[in-house]
Amino acid sequence: MSMRRDFIVGLVLIALCATLPLFIGMRYFVTQATLFFIWGIVVLQWNLVLGVGGIFSLAQMALFAVGAYATAMFGYYFQMPMVLAMPLAALLTVVVSTLVGLACLRLKGPYVALLTLAVAQVLYLLIVNDTECFTNPPSGCMPLFGGVRGFTRFGDLGFRDLFGSKWYIADYYVGLGLLALAAAFSIAIIRGPMGLAFQALRDNPGCAMARGVSRFKYQLWVFALSAFFTGLAGSFYAVHFAAVGPTAFSFSTLLFLLSMIVVGGMGTLWGPLLGALLLMGADEAMREFGDWRDIGLGLLLAGFVILLPKGVLGSLQALVQKLRAKA
Amino acid sequence: MSALLSLENITTGYGAQNVLHGVSLEIAEGGLTAIIGPNGHGKTTLLRAISGLMPLRSGSISLGGLSIGGLRPDEVVDAGIVHVPQGDMLFPEMTVLENLQMGAYLPAAAAEAPRRLEQVFALLPKLKDRRAQIASTLSGGERRMVGIGRGLMAGGRLLMLDEPSLGLAPIVIDQIYDVVSELAAAGQSILVVEENAARVADKAALIALLDNGELVWSGAGPELMARPEILETYLGA
Amino acid sequence: MDVVIQILASGLTMGAMYAISTIGLALVYGSLNMLNMSHGALLALGGYVCYFAMSHLGLHPALGLAAAMLVCGVVGLGIYYVAAQPMLKSANFETQIFIATIGIGAIIENVILRLFGPQPTPQPLNLSGAVVIGTVHIPNQNLLILGVALALMAALAYLLQRTRLGRAIRATAQNREAAQLMGVRVGIVYAQVLALSGALAAISGVMVSSLSSLLPNMGGDPMLKAFIICVVAGLGNVYGAVGAAIVLGILEALAAYVLGVRYSFAILLLLVIAVLIWRPYGLFGRRQVVRL
Repeated sequence: MSMRRDFIVGLVLIALCATLPLFIGMRYFVTQATLFFIWGIVVLQWNLVLGVGGIFSLAQMALFAVGAYATAMFGYYFQMPMVLAMPLAALLTVVVSTLVGLACLRLKGPYVALLTLAVAQVLYLLIVNDTECFTNPPSGCMPLFGGVRGFTRFGDLGFRDLFGSKWYIADYYVGLGLLALAAAFSIAIIRGPMGLAFQALRDNPGCAMARGVSRFKYQLWVFALSAFFTGLAGSFYAVHFAAVGPTAFSFSTLLFLLSMIVVGGMGTLWGPLLGALLLMGADEAMREFGDWRDIGLGLLLAGFVILLPKGVLGSLQALVQKLRAKA
Repeated sequence: MSALLSLENITTGYGAQNVLHGVSLEIAEGGLTAIIGPNGHGKTTLLRAISGLMPLRSGSISLGGLSIGGLRPDEVVDAGIVHVPQGDMLFPEMTVLENLQMGAYLPAAAAEAPRRLEQVFALLPKLKDRRAQIASTLSGGERRMVGIGRGLMAGGRLLMLDEPSLGLAPIVIDQIYDVVSELAAAGQSILVVEENAARVADKAALIALLDNGELVWSGAGPELMARPEILETYLGA
Repeated sequence: MDVVIQILASGLTMGAMYAISTIGLALVYGSLNMLNMSHGALLALGGYVCYFAMSHLGLHPALGLAAAMLVCGVVGLGIYYVAAQPMLKSANFETQIFIATIGIGAIIENVILRLFGPQPTPQPLNLSGAVVIGTVHIPNQNLLILGVALALMAALAYLLQRTRLGRAIRATAQNREAAQLMGVRVGIVYAQVLALSGALAAISGVMVSSLSSLLPNMGGDPMLKAFIICVVAGLGNVYGAVGAAIVLGILEALAAYVLGVRYSFAILLLLVIAVLIWRPYGLFGRRQVVRL
């Protein structure tokens, strides 16, 4: 598929989403859709790292948390307006991910996975185990990184003042806008020169490297750049829910998002979004079986990798190609 | 004399590509048989198909009248075919002795291991001196010797050597082929894959020429050397 | 002096415990190139099976441990046949099995959660009392762990070096295809390695839970540490892993004493990253030449 066609598909999808709240205005639906946009951004970017760049990083949720925490802390300690705090937090996430990338990406695949997982775990432990009071607001002791409780009341985008009780619809459109930007970025990477470089590195590493395509350089670029939108998604998550806590690091969320990518089709452009839609839908349907959620997720994840490793979209594409070859 | 190994119409390959297109060959008991041909024309693939590393797409293989096509590699070894693979496929972190013992891994061979070890050391005395050395620290020629010795430890009816001369200095190649000739003279059936026809022409009882996955010529060594047009066409010699 | 004894005692106990869980991981990675992300869940499973066998069935502690090893060994076998074997030939095996075992780990962990609940439970296989050296108390449980771990390591070394199965495992790890040509059925070896690794995880889980308590997610932390030890030693290097485990156990005890428990893991990790920048294939790992 050409880049132009992808952009057109994207525009049509966005236009559809933009009209949705006009028809279904239920608050629950709109906020769930906003959450879908947030997870959509994260899985689109994670897919760039995982499926396109071939970097087996598990630091994605940690980067998401960095964005969320930075936003909350900018607001809480410096009373920074959120409009400014959000892009700043995203840039900070890029800095952090560049450092992580410099430390990890020269290593072989499984080493990268383990180290990035360990980095995430250390960040989590440092936050949770920190009990020294940094400030002492009326609500009680507040460690520098918020401790186990995390941050609340650090500011919002001002939609509550502007739109009153309909603020969440404004959040919906902010989320949609951010997703549109993240998707555009994803298309540009996959269909652009960087995507070609990665394809070359996959198909014929010897030839690619001999022609000066440096795997490390490109991997670092993808790792750093994709962190911008990941951090921004975290930042928007914090603003939307007006709270950040160490649950942002939870393994359950990591499992949920990884399943989206695997189910949708790792490395495909639209697969992760499709996966996000499917899994959030399934999650909704299984709401009554709450306790079984993680077992179901585990089954889905393992089942897809074993039986349908290309995911829904990847398998469909393979099938279409096969049929075309026959015709 | 009935054939020890007979291949009938063997086809195999990778993905959509066939590498061997119906190869048939009979190998007699005792002595040296050589398969020659240019690189990348299916010689190694043929050995891999015989030893069960590559699944057959069609055709049949039998050893001493018993069908062995489609068996697992371990069953093929057990049936009596030992494949000494190309390059140095030793166990790099084991000692020479441990490598040799791995050759006699299967129960039937393990029972005979002490006796065979003596025979291997008698044939390749250098290995006896080096038996405690870690395999990855040996020289290229020594590694090749260990590979052959390890193959002998299995005590198979047929020993298949995949390009034992690959990457070695001429003087070492001569040593290797001296050992091969000695074994053949002692009655061991050997199937050797070789790129250079001259190295086997005077030793092999039968030479088969494999080109593009097909058997294009077979006959005795001197016969081949008397046909310069074949050498020219297929081997560029 | 007492401080040194204290640090050595707790460091050695931790190191020995890490070593047992690390050996299993290293064996599996060494032979199949498989990072088993469900290892932590197997640890927890082992701990709970032992608890269940002793508290609910009233079995002898030795039988409790045996039951734990048996169950986890069988689950290990199951993981091989259900997940690993079908994708062994795939080009992306390493990534796929990594993801699949994350899923399997989540299943096991949440099944435990459903069956036993989220509350911490004490591990009944536990010795009371302590040995006193000077003014230092060393709990008998620590000594038991150290003793069992040392005996296990000796038994494993014997298994790997002297037995037919051990030779097959090492041969498969060093050169899969050559091992096949010697008559080794690598599929069976893989299955055995996973079963062995599961049994080791069970022992490790009982040990870990006897020092703290049983929790469905108790395996996560030891698994991460075991992975880090594997990485430092060079993935798949069993003997290096034992050495690294003991060194890391002592270092952690030292860091906990000097800087407090809070920072010990973070510092450990920084150390590991520094080691890997210096030696990207681990301390004892050999650089693998990639043929293109």
